[in-house]
Amino acid sequence: MATDVVPRRGVPADRAQLVQWMQEYGVYLGVTVLLLFNVAFTDHFLSTENFRTQAVQVAPVLIVALGMALVIGTEGVDLSVGSVMALSTSLLSLYLGYGPLAALLVALVGGAAVGLANGALVAFVGVQPIVATLALMVGVRGLALVLLPQLEDVHDPTMATLGSGDLVGIPYVVLIAVALALLVAFAVRRTTFGRQLLAVGDSRPAAQLAGLPVRRVLIVVYVCSGVLAAVAGFLATARLSASDPTSLGNLMELSAITAVVVGGTSLSGGRVRIGGTVAGAALIQLLNATLIKHNLSPSWTQIAQAAVIVVAVYAARERGRR
Amino acid sequence: MKPIAPIRRTSTRAVIVAGLVASLTLATGCAKSEDDDTDTPTTPQAEASQVVSTPSVGSGETCTIDAYGGKKIDLANATVGFSQSEKEANPFRIAETASIKAEAKSRGVKLLTANAQSQFSKQISDVQDLISKGADVLVIAPLNSDGWDPVLRQASAKKIPIVTIDRQINATACKDYVSFIGSDFTEQGRRAADQMIEATGGKGKVAILLGSPGNNVTTQRTKGFKDQLKAKAPDLEVVFEQTGEFTREKGQSVTEQLIQSKPDITGIYAENDEMGLGAVNALKGAGKKAGDVKIVTIDGTRNAVQGIVDGWIEGVVESNPRFGPLAFQTLDSFTKGEEVHQNIIIQDSEYTADNAEADLGKAY
Amino acid sequence: MSAPAEVLAVRGLTKRFPGVLALDDVTFTVRPGEVHALVGENGAGKSTLIKVLTGVYQPDQGELRYRGEPAVFGTPLRAQQAGISTIYQEVNLVPLMSVARNLYLGREPRTRLGLIDFGRMHREAERVLGDYGVRVDVRQPLRHLGVGAQQMVALARAVSVNARVVIMDEPTSSLEPREVETLFGVIRRLREQDIAVVYVSHRMEELYAVCDTVTVLRDGRHVHTGPLAETDRLTLVSLMLGRPLGEVGRQTTATPAGDHDGEPVLHAEGLTRPHQLRDVSLRIHPGEVLGLGGLLGSGRSETAKAIAGALPVTGGSVTVAGISVRTGSTPAAIRAGISLLPEDRKAEGIVPGLSVRENIALAALPRLSRFGLVHEARVDAVVETFMKRLRIKASSPHQKVGELSGGNQQKVLLARWLAMHPKVLLLDDPTRGIDVGAKAEVQKLIDELAEQGLGVLLISSDVEELISGSDRVVVLKDGAVVAELSGDDVTEDRLMRAIAAPTTAPDDTSPTIPTSPTSAEEAAVHGH
Repeated sequence: MATDVVPRRGVPADRAQLVQWMQEYGVYLGVTVLLLFNVAFTDHFLSTENFRTQAVQVAPVLIVALGMALVIGTEGVDLSVGSVMALSTSLLSLYLGYGPLAALLVALVGGAAVGLANGALVAFVGVQPIVATLALMVGVRGLALVLLPQLEDVHDPTMATLGSGDLVGIPYVVLIAVALALLVAFAVRRTTFGRQLLAVGDSRPAAQLAGLPVRRVLIVVYVCSGVLAAVAGFLATARLSASDPTSLGNLMELSAITAVVVGGTSLSGGRVRIGGTVAGAALIQLLNATLIKHNLSPSWTQIAQAAVIVVAVYAARERGRR
Repeated sequence: MKPIAPIRRTSTRAVIVAGLVASLTLATGCAKSEDDDTDTPTTPQAEASQVVSTPSVGSGETCTIDAYGGKKIDLANATVGFSQSEKEANPFRIAETASIKAEAKSRGVKLLTANAQSQFSKQISDVQDLISKGADVLVIAPLNSDGWDPVLRQASAKKIPIVTIDRQINATACKDYVSFIGSDFTEQGRRAADQMIEATGGKGKVAILLGSPGNNVTTQRTKGFKDQLKAKAPDLEVVFEQTGEFTREKGQSVTEQLIQSKPDITGIYAENDEMGLGAVNALKGAGKKAGDVKIVTIDGTRNAVQGIVDGWIEGVVESNPRFGPLAFQTLDSFTKGEEVHQNIIIQDSEYTADNAEADLGKAY
Repeated sequence: MSAPAEVLAVRGLTKRFPGVLALDDVTFTVRPGEVHALVGENGAGKSTLIKVLTGVYQPDQGELRYRGEPAVFGTPLRAQQAGISTIYQEVNLVPLMSVARNLYLGREPRTRLGLIDFGRMHREAERVLGDYGVRVDVRQPLRHLGVGAQQMVALARAVSVNARVVIMDEPTSSLEPREVETLFGVIRRLREQDIAVVYVSHRMEELYAVCDTVTVLRDGRHVHTGPLAETDRLTLVSLMLGRPLGEVGRQTTATPAGDHDGEPVLHAEGLTRPHQLRDVSLRIHPGEVLGLGGLLGSGRSETAKAIAGALPVTGGSVTVAGISVRTGSTPAAIRAGISLLPEDRKAEGIVPGLSVRENIALAALPRLSRFGLVHEARVDAVVETFMKRLRIKASSPHQKVGELSGGNQQKVLLARWLAMHPKVLLLDDPTRGIDVGAKAEVQKLIDELAEQGLGVLLISSDVEELISGSDRVVVLKDGAVVAELSGDDVTEDRLMRAIAAPTTAPDDTSPTIPTSPTSAEEAAVHGH
């Protein structure tokens, strides 16, 4: 790191430094500001129950965002995640007769298959990620609806426990999300795959010439994204105690991308910030909760979300110019 | 610039296609859902009691075949074309289509059906198709209110009588089409308010789970509810209005936020059953007991009526999807030369703790 | 208004970056009609100074004056509009647009209706480029041109935008000798028009050929400014390096060629790729440096890439130490012991956002991992070894490679490959764009590696480097081998003759009329 001139933390001096500081820590600042605002102005905000609710609601978004962060780290994007959640819930409902574990496995295989298709299109056929995953987004949602045309209730007790139960006060859903976040963070930091992913995202030609298995990395990344989305679909189903492929995961890709980008992962690849992604997801959740709790008109919720995305994209643009 | 070997492309594509096909067959091939071994009743037993209409409600303007143009026919020998707007993926559409089909069957009328799968352009061509296939009369469940001119022009050239159900189209009644049969969504809102007033005793704080924004169903169900509250129970205060987008998931997550920040809420008015069921999930998750928060919903699906039986939901106002009998009756009268109303309001029944168990079979 | 004595000046300029004091109290002035050489080693601060002059960076301290007035250029565009044009090492144009569009981008000739007058634009583009010795179809996309021709387009564009000061950063690094001559002609014309030229280059010959004044920077400080004629080469080099000249010298004689008769470590046979390679065969023995000579676009880089599996071939085979290697697969080539240092270091070599450490370990990662987990201690050991051995200058192994100087980036790439214990090193212009000191170091490294028994393929745009660094030279032309020089024949003169000699291939055409679609750069070189 810096040897003679150490940039001062906390008090950014000039504009460039300010921008950089905002990119690194802006999301944490945003979360803090929202928390303080709510503590001051929202009734019954400082309660365990409330934080539990927020954590439970953010868990599926976070899990999808983890996969999205990996994909974005390779300079890609996965628009099919919401549809994969729908596919996952359809498959769960269809196979729940064999027990929840078997159904989960089928759902995960489904997610992996979609990821494989995405990855193959991107890595072998050379389709732009946005186009490839858009195609899958449309197709997979259709497939999910063919498999399960309408909402189906889930009565399985294991699923119910998973959806609403907890371990020493922490809901299972949240525990799973935290475990997955740690796992992904570990994979990015400590594994060969993580390093290769960053290299592929930063400079694909260089990675190729360095003999990296570029295609394999890309495929694995999309498979991870698909599997994580399937897990999110599984947990959302458990929480809802119903399979609803028509609405489950709608606009999930946007929430996930926002979480990742707000969290400081550059859209131009080469960087994956898991901590930032967690904070980004929390930021969106808190923003939504704040607007709902203060009973602002739904149009304002949409406008506020749009504003956050604009700010995030602006920050990403600044990042790209460096 | 990317050094991608082109030789491998075809094989890759083949692999992908094969993979997708394989996964689809796999997905359906040996599926075994929860319900496969428990047998749940799949078709409602008694729906005959639902068909009574109250044609006197609303505009009293009427229409006859002379005013419309065209010649009298016997509906029994006619071909009826039915254009459904959305995929039969929710209870309402399923019941609506089933009702039309059942009525056609019981009258022995030849029925042609089409489904636009939520694509308006497809619905237009569907209807044109039905006309060219020889439909003498048309029943249309429109996806949109606007954009019907080309079809209406074609139909009126052939003097084909059209009845629209559940949604209205922007055109002149008794000229471009004969009648509209539908629910009065504002009235549904008012009746929901009545139920809420009864359940809460006219006092307390109420939350509204709105439907999708910008939808006329949402607007009217909200207006009816609020107007009635203002008129009859000024002490019942609406303290919270957020959209649940007509889905169970959104209804659940919004209600979770609601009961955190306003634990003293008395009642929740959900503008459809799904959001109401989501609210029930949220209340259960927060450790509330059945009846702690009064929930009133609109639609009348089986799950919601079961909710009344279980004690979680206070009342459900029905939005009747069974347009079959009324539509055919209207067309029958019209083609015989009798007078029919331009606006026909279908009667919506309602479910409360008193009748829910008995009438569960009627719910769709 | 009397003409100011200086057109562009900075005084007391200081610029800091996190962890680095890039410029420390630097003073630099340019007069109209002066060709001012700006020289210095890696990290001397040349690039930073240029970026301050052109509005990319803002000075932390110090004053910038332009045409006698204090000036602040907030953006490169503002500097350009004020009359300061820059030609960078890497061509900064739009590759997909036509040559003419690039030349006139943003100031296209218009018809009376306000539409682009393509006819006039193409005619004028042809005329203007003709002055620069570039004879090409100006309607084709720029990227179809060779790097040299692209650079000429960039130069033509810069000069024709009403410039008062033209800054040239390594303008000749991808030019052929003939193009260099053309460039010098252009520079002399600029001088006559009282335009100031700031000329950054590492090539002594060029400096003495065109520059009037020289400013030497070292470690972010101003060391010397004076008329070039009064500064001899020896002095200049010692000023730049800041140490006695003896250390810079390197063995100019390569290992004698006599002991390279045994089994070749690399044997490429009949490499063929439509429009690019025609039946190219070569062999390299252990401990031998094989030079690959030829003009730009002769297939030098393509040959190297084909051997390294980075460019699929339609025919031919590659054998390493007697074992056949699957062509068209980089991983297969790397496993066999072939390593390639690509020509375009920034785009294809380094991974700019990753640290020095990750870049060095990148290719060797699987070897440095267990069960997919990176063994950090082993990585640290490898990184430390090679950073020391190759004398890589970075503030720490965790510094981003993108922030290093060109020479150090190249060393990082060498380290990446040496960590793989390769048998064959393919070096595509390894000293391009790096300064004298680092260049000598890299050249010395190459000799050392060969002595240790590696087979080295050396491509260089610097003829002198190629001749003095190679045991044998294979000469390419139009994608085919036209000559092989060995022993006493390895001289600049022989190489030039081999390149200039008419080719015997039946389908070849007269060198002055380019018909082959792939030889756009040839056109630039052979043009009238």
